Amino acid sequence: MSRGNTPSQHNSTLAISPLVGNRTLQMQQGQQQRNNTHNQGNRQWSGAQRVTQTPHQSVTYSPLVQKIQNNASLATPAPIQDHGGSTAGLLASMTKNGLFGPTMPSTLRKVSVVTDLNRPPQSVLDGAGSEETLDANRIIHSIDIAQLPAAEKLRLWRHDSLMQHQYRTAEYIGDKVYSMTGDPNDAFWLAQVYYNSGSYIRAVELLSRNNLDTSSVMCRYLTALCLIQLKKYEDALDIVGETNPFQDPLGNHVKNQDGGIKLESSMCYLRGKIFAALNNFEKAKESLKEALQVDVKNFEAFDELISKNLLTPNEEWTFIASLDFSDLDDNEELIRSLYISRLSKYLNLDQVRKAQDFLIDEYKLSNNTDIIHSNVDTLFTQCKFSDCLKLCEEALEQDEFNFSILPTYISCLYELGGKNKLFLISHKLAENFPKHPITWFGVGAYYMCTNKISEARKYFSKASILDPTFSQAWIGFAHTYAVEGEHEQAVSAYSTASRFFPGTHLPNLFLGMQYLLMGTLPLAEEYFILAYDVCPYDPLLLNEMGVLYFKKNDFVKAKKYLKKAWEAIKALDSESKSWVSIHTNLAHSYRKLGENERAVKCFKLVLETAGKDTDTLCALGYVYLRMNRIGKAIDSLHGSLALCPSNQTAQDLLKQALDVNLSTVLDESHPLVVSSKIQEQSSRLVSRKRAANKLDVHAMAKRLKHGQDSSDDEGEEGDSMELE
Amino acid sequence: MDPSFAQLLSEVQAELRNSASQLSRLKLYNSSKWSAEALCGMCEIPSSPLVKNFMKDSESPLRSRSHKNVFEPQQSPKNPEVGMDSSEYDLFLLASTLFDCKEFDRCGYFLANATHPELKFLKLYSKYLSWDKKTQESMESMLTSGNPKTANSSDGGVDGGDGRNVMDRLRNHESSNSTVLKKFQKSVDLDNGESTSVPLILKELNNYLSQDQKSLKTGIGISLLHYLQGILYKIQDIPSNAISSFLNSLSMFPYNWGCWTELLSCLSRSDESVLLLKVLNDKFTNEKFKVMLKFFKLSLFQEFNGNIDDFIQELDYLLSIFPNFAFLKTQHALINYHYMDYVSAGLIFDQIIKLDPYRLEDMDTYSNILYVMQKPSKLAYLAQFASGVDRFRAETCCIIANYYSAKQEHEKSIMYFRRALTLNKSCTSAWTLMGHEFVELKNSHAAIECYRRAVDINARDFKAWYGLGQAYEVLDMHLYSLYYFQRSCALKPLDKRMWQALASCYEKVDSIDESIKCYTRALQLSLNSDLDTTILYRLALLHEKLRDVNNCKGYMVKCVDAHQNTDGLISDEITKASLWLAKHEAKQKNFSEAYKYALGVTHGTSQEIEEARAIARECRKRMD
Repeated sequence: MSRGNTPSQHNSTLAISPLVGNRTLQMQQGQQQRNNTHNQGNRQWSGAQRVTQTPHQSVTYSPLVQKIQNNASLATPAPIQDHGGSTAGLLASMTKNGLFGPTMPSTLRKVSVVTDLNRPPQSVLDGAGSEETLDANRIIHSIDIAQLPAAEKLRLWRHDSLMQHQYRTAEYIGDKVYSMTGDPNDAFWLAQVYYNSGSYIRAVELLSRNNLDTSSVMCRYLTALCLIQLKKYEDALDIVGETNPFQDPLGNHVKNQDGGIKLESSMCYLRGKIFAALNNFEKAKESLKEALQVDVKNFEAFDELISKNLLTPNEEWTFIASLDFSDLDDNEELIRSLYISRLSKYLNLDQVRKAQDFLIDEYKLSNNTDIIHSNVDTLFTQCKFSDCLKLCEEALEQDEFNFSILPTYISCLYELGGKNKLFLISHKLAENFPKHPITWFGVGAYYMCTNKISEARKYFSKASILDPTFSQAWIGFAHTYAVEGEHEQAVSAYSTASRFFPGTHLPNLFLGMQYLLMGTLPLAEEYFILAYDVCPYDPLLLNEMGVLYFKKNDFVKAKKYLKKAWEAIKALDSESKSWVSIHTNLAHSYRKLGENERAVKCFKLVLETAGKDTDTLCALGYVYLRMNRIGKAIDSLHGSLALCPSNQTAQDLLKQALDVNLSTVLDESHPLVVSSKIQEQSSRLVSRKRAANKLDVHAMAKRLKHGQDSSDDEGEEGDSMELE
Repeated sequence: MDPSFAQLLSEVQAELRNSASQLSRLKLYNSSKWSAEALCGMCEIPSSPLVKNFMKDSESPLRSRSHKNVFEPQQSPKNPEVGMDSSEYDLFLLASTLFDCKEFDRCGYFLANATHPELKFLKLYSKYLSWDKKTQESMESMLTSGNPKTANSSDGGVDGGDGRNVMDRLRNHESSNSTVLKKFQKSVDLDNGESTSVPLILKELNNYLSQDQKSLKTGIGISLLHYLQGILYKIQDIPSNAISSFLNSLSMFPYNWGCWTELLSCLSRSDESVLLLKVLNDKFTNEKFKVMLKFFKLSLFQEFNGNIDDFIQELDYLLSIFPNFAFLKTQHALINYHYMDYVSAGLIFDQIIKLDPYRLEDMDTYSNILYVMQKPSKLAYLAQFASGVDRFRAETCCIIANYYSAKQEHEKSIMYFRRALTLNKSCTSAWTLMGHEFVELKNSHAAIECYRRAVDINARDFKAWYGLGQAYEVLDMHLYSLYYFQRSCALKPLDKRMWQALASCYEKVDSIDESIKCYTRALQLSLNSDLDTTILYRLALLHEKLRDVNNCKGYMVKCVDAHQNTDGLISDEITKASLWLAKHEAKQKNFSEAYKYALGVTHGTSQEIEEARAIARECRKRMD
């Protein structure tokens, strides 16, 4: 096999077939034309296969068969390419896969027919265009496995056993083929077998022994992959290089013709992974972005970027906008929408929704877990936990251990206090995936829920050891310290998390909160601003910033941020705990700024939605006291003390209020005198009901009606009645 | 009889029939019971053919359906009025039986996607009940954990330590209650992420109603949804919204007594009641609906005093329609009770018992009357009888508690009040009476806790406010007691006792001016203000403190003058006033006057009499 024959960085591995490399058999003929015919043959064959198979069994429904059909149609453009081998080789191998199952014996036979037919493409690029027109059908019928050379037969055997995950067979046969031929392609395939069977070091050794890793991109990729699996990140980095060696300085975009993932992109992805493992997140981010820029089909890179929170919400959106999806031809919109539905839900919610609608309408993906996942994320970002939980459960019904949904599901259960379900799911996970980080994240969440903090910490740390890039586990780990009031440890845990996950504002937010608790306001402010830079849309963050400025006695700013938070939470249309705390804080700011009416309104709203709370009532009492509405002040202060008799502030305020009450002169305007008058008047009026002089009462009745219509005004109405 | 009146009667009868069957169908049993009782308590309707005719017209949907159900099952569900299709009707049957078996969660589950208003109502109502039951249960577990202590302390007899114990327990109770109170707004967790809470139910309800508003449907289903909305608002402590919901509900379906009582419970000030009445008067102009309004007025009057003549007039009118309706008779008895005419109230209650012996409602009030009238044997009989009917009714427990209280066994009495409260947590009178019992035990703190609970539940209970004032007065916390007296006074501004209490409180915190104002007001309200020597004497003393001798003397003279009108009954105040006047006149050298007053002192302590004699002697000497 000539070195130039292996796929270049612009190609995918689709170009190499397991059979590639048999030079002895190669025919130096114009493979271009042949390719054409092969592909035709291939296509026809697969068509024929479909016809023959469908009546007998349901193999056609297997994913592999679908692949064949797709590939068959995909294969058509391939021959037009002017470089690279044909796609037919791998296609053939896939075809073979499509057939394993009950029809095995005949499968192999038929496959061999096809592979034989495919043999020519291994030949070099430079084949002259000698016209050889072969009738595909004729070829299919004329070529038989028996006519293949012995080595080729062994290769087939090796490949099939690899596909059937019989690695020992594959290794055994592959080793024999390699020893017999010494062909680098056979070495590569043997390495592939080693990789699949988990003997990474052997694969590396095999590849480096032949210097394959320096000559072929594909082999280099495999070597790096093996090294990463071996956690030899520096070595792997040496292999893939610190920067992209194929980078086109002119920025010309080479279109990928074979429909697979460009090896260049995969290499970039590996580089990103290595950098991430080396804790060099900035470079990791750049490499992963490059991977996507080279080839948008590299979902691994995209997933890594999004799920590991390497990009801030804004960056995510600008990045996706900059990507070129045109390589995907008619799948362009599909993939773009799919990607968009994965992005941060803090902004451009309408676009996410549009993308989802598009996917559902055009591709009938409404039941697809990824669409549900996107919805789940939206709901979770909006703090609508119970809706989110419902949706998660729907999704998990289809796929019980969907690891993209499970973390959100567990978080939801934690938020809603669903101990019982947490218990069940973490047990199920522990039974089935004892080594998966999410399992231990679930267990940790359960202990957190049942308030066993040290246990929770143990399991969160277990989860984060299993996967150091699992942000929820890290944050959960830090939370365990925060809950116990261990500020120092919490701070260090949070700051590790913030280093690992530059794309999420949460660690910085929590850091700020810790500093706020510790009373170190300047540091808290710094961290809040960092978080704000990452995500200025989170109402929780805005709320905390409001609190910070409130503590710094900068009430105007506090009000500003709290109002922003209020806007944000209004947009999210959520009535969770955060809603209450934002309103309470806003009310306190109003109180400090002397906007009594607004403060009262806000406090009342809080009391109505969140129920009675001693501090809220106390503050409300204070405001009333300042507004000189003594009766109401005393009422709310009493309410406050009823809930918590030891509330010192409330006690003092109450004393003050009662003093004021004492000094209020019993004159015409005193509420008591007023009420007694009203009642006297009423009893008189009732007795003269049919006498028509009720102007005054009519007006009052109207106002009562009015008060009922607009409940918000009720407070004021009531007061004005009192003061009459 | 006037034909139009007969027409009205038959209309009312039809409405009541309809409401009794509809409400029981939709599980509002108490309201349904009320309607049915009213129906059976109605007078004979003279022109029967008319009635028959009318009955045919007004046959309730349910009646017609059940009729059809029996004979023509195919047609049954297609009732245009009920508007359920057959699958909805089947669902309704299921939900209704589940509800009857008290499986509320199941009922809610099966109705999860129901859109028919009645089904929606059943769903949300059962959700609410489930929530209520669970919060109640969590509260009760706290209550029962405190119970062993109750047994111990009641064995231990009365002493200081015991009092403390009781108080601790009460605190426990209090704290458990407050957690429940907090939970009120929060939620009942099912431990698996699902939860119900009042805001959640309310949100769903509001969403449904706002959707429905567009089609502007009316009907019993929607009306009851509004009713439920009102109840939830009330729990959330937003009375203004609650009132408007109840009014909405009532305007669609007025024959729902439960809704009227809930409406009443939303009011906390008498001025509100006046305004509400005006609104209602405008709203219910139809004669047949006015009947319900009249009932409401009666209840309103019990809570907020109005014009008694008016009340009597309304009562007479209603009694002419419902001569045998126990509820009305109870109202009559209650008004007598409120006006402290215990004898007549007792007589009416006797009648009620004859009419409907197994009716326990309001019998606790009867026991209060018997308690006040000090008829222990009758009270004992009532207690025995009630516990024979149903031992586990809040009313029965209150009666028994009253019985023990009359026997001076206050611990037992408290125990029964607690039991009553366990059975019915919103029984204000039990809280208030328990407070009184604690006062008897000289345990002011515990009493205060009880009164607090009472006013938390029902802010219109002036007795509880007054009790709070008194309890704090005992504790020498006059600022507090002043505030509470103000509250009770605001509720009963026409009751001189309130003003008197307020005045004495002001006096104790040295606000003489305010105190004088209050006493003056009390005097104005007094039925025969010339004879109220206590107030007159206090006023005189206050003026003396202000060194306003003229006014002081004036009141003293009034006080002494009252002597002529009291048929020789001489109170302490008169004696003291006479003595004061005698001294005063002696100082002013009006010895003849002084002599006259001194002679008037014939009662009182020996010291006073001695003093008076000395003055008299002195004066005679000077006069001579």
